[in-house]
Order: sequence, then C-alpha cells, then structure tokens
Amino acid sequence: MSMVFDLQWILYTGAIGLIAIGLVGIIWSRHLFRIILSLAIAEAGANLMLVIAGYRLHGHAPIMVAGVWPEQMVDPVPQAMVLTAIVIGVGIQALALSLAIRVKEAYHSLDIDEIRAAMQADIDAQAGVTGDLSQEEPSGREVIGPTVAAEEGRS
Amino acid sequence: MNLIALVVALPLLGAFLLPVGARSVGWVGRLLGPALLLLTSLVVIVLWRDSGGVPSHIELGGFQPPLGITFYLDQLALVFALATSLLALLLWPHAAWRDARVAALMLLMVSAASGMALSGDLFNLYVFYELVSVASFGLVAAPKTGAALAATLRYVIISGMGTVMALTGIALIYTQTGTLNLAHLTLLSATTLDNTLGLTAFVLILLGIGVKAELFPVNIWVPEVYATASQRVSALLAGLISKLAIIVIIRLLVLLFPQPEALTLLLVIGALGVLLGELAAWHAKDFERMLAFSSIGQLGLVLMAFSIPGQAGLFAGLAVAMHHLIVKPALFVLAERWSGGFAGLAGAGWKSPWAAGLFILFALSLIGVPPLPGFWAKLMTLLGLLGQDNWIYWTGAGIILLATVFEANYLFRFGLGLFKAGSESRSAKVPVHDAGSLGPSLILGAVLLIATVMITPVGNWLAGVADQLADRELYVTTVLGAGRELP
Repeated sequence: MSMVFDLQWILYTGAIGLIAIGLVGIIWSRHLFRIILSLAIAEAGANLMLVIAGYRLHGHAPIMVAGVWPEQMVDPVPQAMVLTAIVIGVGIQALALSLAIRVKEAYHSLDIDEIRAAMQADIDAQAGVTGDLSQEEPSGREVIGPTVAAEEGRS
Repeated sequence: MNLIALVVALPLLGAFLLPVGARSVGWVGRLLGPALLLLTSLVVIVLWRDSGGVPSHIELGGFQPPLGITFYLDQLALVFALATSLLALLLWPHAAWRDARVAALMLLMVSAASGMALSGDLFNLYVFYELVSVASFGLVAAPKTGAALAATLRYVIISGMGTVMALTGIALIYTQTGTLNLAHLTLLSATTLDNTLGLTAFVLILLGIGVKAELFPVNIWVPEVYATASQRVSALLAGLISKLAIIVIIRLLVLLFPQPEALTLLLVIGALGVLLGELAAWHAKDFERMLAFSSIGQLGLVLMAFSIPGQAGLFAGLAVAMHHLIVKPALFVLAERWSGGFAGLAGAGWKSPWAAGLFILFALSLIGVPPLPGFWAKLMTLLGLLGQDNWIYWTGAGIILLATVFEANYLFRFGLGLFKAGSESRSAKVPVHDAGSLGPSLILGAVLLIATVMITPVGNWLAGVADQLADRELYVTTVLGAGRELP
C-alpha cells in the first residue's frame, strides 16, 4: 500500500511542479516564444494531473472482453477529458504562435517589453492621446510621436 | 424541453455553414446570423413560457445523469440564454465588417455562451468556456492592426494560464469525488469538498474562469483589448461574457463550496477590482479605456454583492449584474462613433444630443442616482454589506462609497466635456451619431427606463430567480429525481 501512496505522491508532485514551472515561466520570461513554451509546459502539467486523477496502480484498460470484467480498471473518464483538453491546448498554442508571428511582423520584436511599449504608443496615437507618447523611436517602427504632434500643431 | 438543445446547436451549425454559404450566395452571410439568433430567442421565450418558472433538465443523448451530460434549465440559465441571443442580435455587426468569418465567430461565441449558461456538467462547462475564449480571440484580433494583434496575444496567454488553473481545479474536484455532474457533485460536496483541498479547487476555478470575468488580478488584458477591438465586440465581452463567467462561478460556489472563506475571498478580490478599476478609469484619457476600466470596477462590485451570505447576496449580485448587462454594452455602442481621447470629443454633445442624453442616463444609473435601477442595485449591495456583523464587510461598503465618488467624478467630467462651450471647431472631425449607430443604445436605454418604472415587479422576479439559484435541494431533485436528499 505504501508503494501506491509513494508513486501517487511522486506523480502529483510532478504534475504540480510542471504547472508551477510553466506559470513562473509565463510571468518571468520576456521572450514571447519562451512564454508560449511555458504555457505548453503548464498545460502538460494540468493534463497530467487529470490523467493521474483516474489512474489505478496495476489497473487494466477499461475494455470488457467477452463478458469478463477486469479486476481493476483505470477510470476512462479523465482520459476522455484529457484528449479534449490536449486538443484545445494545441489549438490555443497554434493560435498564440501565429499571433506571435504577426506581432513580430508588425513590431519587429519578440521582447514583450518592447512590444508593450509599441502597442501602448499605437493605442495612444490612435486615440489621439499624447500624454504618454514616447518621443523616442519605438523598436524598428517609424517614428510615431513627433509626426502626430506635428500634425496636431498644424491643424 | 429538448428544444433547448437547438439554442446551442443552431448557432454552432450556422457558424460552420456561414463561411461556405457566404462564398456562393452573398446574402447568406448577412441574413443567416440574425435569422438564427431570432429563432433561438424565440425558442427560449417559448420554453420559458411553457416552464412556468419551474426548473427542469434535459439529458443529452438520453444518458441518465450522473453518467450523461445534462442541461439544467432554471430561470437564471434561461434568462442568460435569452440575453445571449438578444444582445448578439442587437450588436450584430451589420455595417462594420461584411467579413463572413467574423459573423461565423459571433455565432460560435453565442452557441458556446448559451451552452455555458445551461450546462450542468463541470467538464462540459470547461469546454464551452474554451469555445467562448477561442471565438473571442478571433473577434478581438479581427481589426488586424499591430496593436490589436499584440493585445490579443496577451489575452490569449492570460486565458491560457486561466485554462491551466481551471483544469487543475477540475482535476482536484475529480480526485475527491469521481464525478463531474453538478447535481451529483452537490450531493457529495458536504463530505468531500468542505476542506482545504476543496477551497484550493475553488480558488483555481475562480482565477481560471475569472479571466473572462475581468477579476483582479487576471484582468490585465482588459484595457488594451477593449481599446483595440471593435466596439461591438467589446460590448459583448464586457456586457455579456464577463457576467456569464461570474454566474458560472456563483453557481459552482452555491452548489459545491460551502466554505465561508470562499465568500470572504470574493469580497476581497471584488473590493480590489472596484478600487483599482475605478481609480484607473479616473486616470484614463480616452473613452474606450475609461469604459474598460470602469467595467473592471463594476464587475468587482458584482463580486462584492455576491459575497454577501445567503439569498440576499444572490439577489443583490443578480441585480448589479443585470443592470451592468444592460448599461455597459450601450456605452460601448456609443463609443463606436465617439472613439478616442477626451480632448477630441469636447463639444461633441451639441452635434449628437440624443447620444449625449443616453450617455448621461446610463452614467446616472451607473453612479446610482435614484430612481434609476442602478441606485436600487447599489443600495441593496451596501445594505447587505453593512448588515453583516464583520469589519471586512464594512470596509467593503466604505470602498464602494469611495469608488462611487471617483466614478461620479470621471463620468460627470466626460459628460460636461461633451457640452463644452466654444469647442465646436475641435469636434469638427468627430462623427455625428445617426439612427443606425444609436439603435442598440436606444433600445437598451428604453429597457433601462422600463425597468425604472416597473422596479417592483422586476425586483420581485429577480428575488424569485435568486431563490431558485440558492436552492441546492431543488437542483439535485430536478436532475437526479426525487428521493436523493442532501446529507
């Protein structure tokens, strides 16, 4: 019995560890690709957690053969859920990566601080709010600040 | 009752047929969506009338609960299913973009949002929630500007984080109970979830689903997304989807998590949302971001109202939520023409007096000026908070009053700016509102005024809805049949 207990502990620790690594990576990374990878790691942890929830040590696959009930079966419900969760996760990761490509095309950077600054400048310029507008050139973009200010001065 | 499956199935079918159909027949793209939404609204209204307010359930595929997936139809679920169809119809993007893909995403979001309101199964809820997320990613990225894409990417990543947390919470619940059916979980919750692990699961689900509900601290995507997305999409997300997420959280809280700590947590998170949201809105310099931040504050208020224990809290929470459901989309629709900084909008009210009048009506109701419905909702929340014999609740009431001062200040500042004298030349470039751009706001304003006049029947009806929401026994016996008693 103690072995079962130990194995479960190891598995749960592993799953929670993966989730923690992923979340820390999302929060602390500056590189967009690393953030998306961290998200994938965290999702793997959550999926592992679901699989463990239905796992029985020495359990058989939950398939009934010729009317014989296997002695102990693993719970099939979490496995069905994990399949769904994996598919959703893959879709979201693919979407995030394709968005990252488009963002890189627009702002020529994958550093989130630079992207955030450029995004804020864009939104401010579009709203016509000049308060936070940076006069410096945002990474790789045409100079936004002075042109907008100059146009306003003229009108 | 089985007709209710159409509310989810029809828009889903439409979402897949529409891009194909629009390619061969042009008018399909324009008419199919509104026609389907009209049909689903009618289905909900007919079912509602037939139900007579008594909750019922359907078993999808004929599998008996707790094995099969169920839809639970109480008044709350029906009113949100109806609100989803009607608001999507009202905010349908006729003129703005003719892109069939956007219309398809709208239908997908409507289908999944109705599913979220109706679902009686934890994992099914998660799937619908993810569908809403994915559809909303596409909708907010639709303008395809660099800023919109960057804002969407941040939204996707935070939503992904939320997904991981919600999924972990669901896994924790499953390890303790071995079931996902909400009625079955309710039966088991007293013995299995009333502990630290249950509370952990609730916190994880709260933060996970809270991404859509704009809860502190998972709401940092809100201002940029609402500033870059099309205003009608912002209206749907801020008005409808956020409230739906909160309703789901509250439904789970009522059924599964009896811990008093959970309510205190709601109060603290709500209070932080109110304080930070209203302060940020006070600092905002353009209309969309002011609305975005104020929506964070309003949702914090909804959460604080729901944190009051017992039926009184559910009543107050529903009242604040329904009020915001009407007001916030209307304000975002006004921002369609009045997009941008305050300076550029100075004097715009002289040219569009109807729009300015509507803004003032909604602003007064948000602040809570009697006799508008917003006043009663806020009053009930304040009285409920002050009625608790606990300093945390009293602090919460103080925070609401303080935030109301800021709210009144920035809303009046904007309203006065609209009528600034001698600034006609500056607002020369501001587009004038016409009937088309004002339509949805006018209809929502009329609803608000009708609610003002009929505040007593509306209040009684909401109290009935809250009673049903609070009745765990009713949920279990409706889904699993009589004879299953709560321990």
